[in-house]
Amino acid sequence: MADLAEIRRMIETALPGAAVEVVDETGGGDHLRAVVAAPQFEGLSRLDQHRLVKAAVKERFDDGTIHALSVKTALPG
Amino acid sequence: MADAELKQKVEELIAANPVLLFMKGTPEMPRCGFSMRVVQVLDAMDVEYGAVDVLPALQPLREVTTELSDWQTFPQLYVNGELLGGADIVEEMFDSGELAEALGVEQPEAAPAQAASAQAPPLQIE
Repeated sequence: MADLAEIRRMIETALPGAAVEVVDETGGGDHLRAVVAAPQFEGLSRLDQHRLVKAAVKERFDDGTIHALSVKTALPG
Repeated sequence: MADAELKQKVEELIAANPVLLFMKGTPEMPRCGFSMRVVQVLDAMDVEYGAVDVLPALQPLREVTTELSDWQTFPQLYVNGELLGGADIVEEMFDSGELAEALGVEQPEAAPAQAASAQAPPLQIE
């Protein structure tokens, strides 16, 4: 079962200045949804934006804590 | 390090199929909600596409796509040899009309059947 605050912190650490929201989509704790608005996304394709977010939490994928992470990226409003 | 023979097979499949979906399960019987969402989008676009069930060789294929496309999760949709994205990106591109453009088809009037948000969450058996 993922620690949502930890997942959020991992993304914030990888992308300083980002606004991050992490929610548990199913109540099961392993299918999460992250909404991330980060200045680092400027000029990047959606694929690369998603790669940055996934890379930030890769450790929790690899250890099986997270099974699925739905990602929505945006530039800071 | 990905299996060289498998990697070559994957590259050949991507080259041979203008629209190719790597998914969990089959279009008729998807085994994962994310894969199902991409199938629904593609069906709504009314395009021909190839589909590869990754489940029989999940980890080896993960290693291959990591090397080829720097992408570890499935589904993955390839159009004209390029990775377009997973379910989130494909749905965003569908909504914005970019997917129709990438596929060279008209944007359909109707949304894909059963938007993910309209579905009940999967049952937990843990």
